[in-house]
Amino acid sequence: MSYDTKRNESKQENKTKHVSFKPLKEFYTNNYSDNYIHTGSFPQAHVTNVENTVEGYPKLQKLFQEKEKQIADYATKPYGCKVAIDEMVPTLKNWIKKDKITFDVVMIGCLTDNQFIYPLLTQLPLDKLISKPGFLFIWASVQKINELSRLLNNEIWAKKFRRSEELVFVPVDKDSPFYPGLDGDDNSVLEKMQWHCWMCITGTVRRSTDGHLIHCNVDTDLSIETKGACNGSVPPHLYKIAENFSTATRRLHIIPARTGWETPVRLRPGWVIMSPDVLINNFAPSSFKSELARVGCNIPLKSEIESLRPKSPVQKTEKLV
Amino acid sequence: MTVTLSGDLEVASQSVSCATCHCKNVLRSDNEKNRKRSNTVKGEREVQGHGESGVDTAVTMVGPVDADVDVVRFLGENSALLLAKPLDGRLRDVHSLYVMNKQKLPAPFDEFLECVRTISQVSGDAVVLVETRELQGTEWVIEFIDTFALQILEGQLLQDSGRGARVDCHDDTVDASDDDDAETLFDEQTPLLDRLMDALDFDKDARAADEYTAPLVKVLSAKLDHILQSEPVSFQLARERAKYTTRFEEYISVCGDPEHARLLTGLAYIVNNKVVSMQWSKLTKAEQHNPQFVQCLETHIHFIPNLKPQTDVTLGDCSYLDTCHKLNSCRYLHYLQYIPESALQLASERAAANTSAAVPPLYTHGYCCSVQCKEPLPPQWIQCDVRKFDFSVLGKFSVVVADPAWNIHMNLPYGTCNDVELLELPLDQLQDEGVLFLWVTGRALELGKESLAKWGYEVVNEVSWIKTNQLGRTIVTGRTGHWLNHSKEHLLVGVKAHPHWLNRHIDIDVIVSTTRETSRKPDELYGIIERLVGPHARKLEIFGRDHNIRPGWFTIGNQLTGTRIHELDVKERYREQVADQPRDPRDPRRDHRCGRPRDHRPFASN
Repeated sequence: MSYDTKRNESKQENKTKHVSFKPLKEFYTNNYSDNYIHTGSFPQAHVTNVENTVEGYPKLQKLFQEKEKQIADYATKPYGCKVAIDEMVPTLKNWIKKDKITFDVVMIGCLTDNQFIYPLLTQLPLDKLISKPGFLFIWASVQKINELSRLLNNEIWAKKFRRSEELVFVPVDKDSPFYPGLDGDDNSVLEKMQWHCWMCITGTVRRSTDGHLIHCNVDTDLSIETKGACNGSVPPHLYKIAENFSTATRRLHIIPARTGWETPVRLRPGWVIMSPDVLINNFAPSSFKSELARVGCNIPLKSEIESLRPKSPVQKTEKLV
Repeated sequence: MTVTLSGDLEVASQSVSCATCHCKNVLRSDNEKNRKRSNTVKGEREVQGHGESGVDTAVTMVGPVDADVDVVRFLGENSALLLAKPLDGRLRDVHSLYVMNKQKLPAPFDEFLECVRTISQVSGDAVVLVETRELQGTEWVIEFIDTFALQILEGQLLQDSGRGARVDCHDDTVDASDDDDAETLFDEQTPLLDRLMDALDFDKDARAADEYTAPLVKVLSAKLDHILQSEPVSFQLARERAKYTTRFEEYISVCGDPEHARLLTGLAYIVNNKVVSMQWSKLTKAEQHNPQFVQCLETHIHFIPNLKPQTDVTLGDCSYLDTCHKLNSCRYLHYLQYIPESALQLASERAAANTSAAVPPLYTHGYCCSVQCKEPLPPQWIQCDVRKFDFSVLGKFSVVVADPAWNIHMNLPYGTCNDVELLELPLDQLQDEGVLFLWVTGRALELGKESLAKWGYEVVNEVSWIKTNQLGRTIVTGRTGHWLNHSKEHLLVGVKAHPHWLNRHIDIDVIVSTTRETSRKPDELYGIIERLVGPHARKLEIFGRDHNIRPGWFTIGNQLTGTRIHELDVKERYREQVADQPRDPRDPRRDHRCGRPRDHRPFASN
């Protein structure tokens, strides 16, 4: 009742008092942190382009569609490799030595605490596993990345793997399967609501000349959880960033953690996923190699994508050449 | 070895077949060797093999007692847990757990000890008990439990006493509740999907089994889980207090209906890139087609497309939007924010109604004792070259914010402090204990972490500022980063010593806020800090500019206008310092400029 009367009143008001619709003169912004304190609604929920990040940019939308299509066309079939955490390093060493398999994109870790990344990084001959140029993504909690910094910043490491970007994934609220919870949060002064990724490049790539290897500036360094993201330990955003950036088709994801039945590890076309809890165990080196022979090691150039993707200013490269 | 692994081991130990069990016995013997057990016992174990000797002894045993069966089962089922940390097999603790688990009248420890000794004897050392002398007297520690032998013993005991439930040594300890479930699973009446879903419902057992019937491992892990998942009440209290004491700023939500934006294009009267008024006659008509349109207009923020003769809608939105410098020639689409004055008024009325600051909160942790009557100090600032400033003038602070101009690119048009100069700043003098917030960009992230460690801070949080544009979208266009576009900035949070007075976990480590002038940081941070340290804590901002001065804050920086100090002691020390050092003849604003890094702005629309 009150709603209807209010509406009628406001209608009458509109007709008589035009003043009420007079626009504000100054640009107005909400304080979403303050709003969170009073209503409990998280600031990241008010970002308006979460579901479609490139909303309003038709060229970029087209680029994302084209890339998605092409990546799907040149994807190896999804592989899962179910290996206990202790067996990961021996298995990978076997792949390197016996089967002569290397990867261009290696992602380590997922959105869970209690990951055994440090022992993996110290025991694994990563420079032999990743070809040059190659790309390494390490996903973990902020605290874990800080701990790893000591290792990754030492000279030997930093020379091989140059740190290039820091990626962030933000879950949308506390009911999200990706909400970090209170784990490892004893000293923090603010509540933890994000995951970080250490992105490294090994070998040499130039963003102006190596368009056949990398497509720069397509994605951003921030992902916010979208609605309907599958319940699992790895949201698709993590894979997409790597897929959009590198044109390589040899992609490996190592999850050195027990993720349990609540957050299953699903397969993804174009990826070999190694985890103690991956749903399907179907990896065989020979099968993988024949798949690679079918799709090739890099996604070929496509003129539509070339014309759409952000590139370094042309004048500059001309001068250099 | 981790807890999970040992848990797995235990499960495995309960469900092994006879063949693997043998291996296990051998394996266990190896462990024993490591533990330097006496040769005789080891020999006995090897002879024992599959535990036949244990069975024989059990058979000959006279008059099995109920309690003994329970103890045998208890030791067998929980062997891994009892031997692992933190129990380490200490018999007194094992006894307490046994009593807790069985919910019986507490049997005296002596009886329990005697019982375990008997078990150890009759089973041929399936339980190895060692006496140790400690400060508080004699202690007994279980060094080793052979679950397999205990299972056999238990089976024998049950058979003898006529209950005959578990004779099979291959029994993989499926308890009674599981059997019931199995029966219901094969109930033909329930549809297949329900049965499958039922089988997948892993929480069911936990819910069904109450604290006393579930095995000890489950009860303890559930309890531990609960403790780890619940936040301290201090967090909740602080959050509740913050809700009632901070002023609720007016809040207007953004309308996400594209249809409304389309309607408004025809309704709004735009002159000189400003919404001047609405065409009322059309408004009622629009309302007829789109009910609730007017109500939405009154209560939400709308963005009206600013269509100009040169606008080409197919190109999409301008990357710069409201900050575009070529509004009169840019062919991309721009928008105008439309909020009726009434909406703001409504929002502030609502905000005022929600703020009940009149009631002083009873929870006073982290507040100064005169919090109710004390007024915040007016803004204070000193214009100075931060690199040469004597920080001892300022005293100590609860919180420090610094936004240095990291020298990330050598070719910046204005002077920046170089990294070494920043590292050499005596920031370790400013706080005995407290929090330091440090803005970092790109490569400076690592340098910032190193600097914080050098100044005596531990990095406890990393805040992400999600930068949004006029339309509340993240910034995705242009080439704002080298490899990927940048839509966020990092703020490191370091803590020194143990500031117990902090009100932690009120806010989250994410800020969503619109970008403003180059390198100007979001004001939301001030609110977050004030909630963290309380309203009267001393707060310092280094490298601040005129827009950074605020009540309750002390700001220093070379781009400030003049100097204003209200605290008498600081005033005195500053006067002395200025008297000691004659003013630098050069104008600090020109020569010592310690400017700021350029904010990443999109280059052009794509």
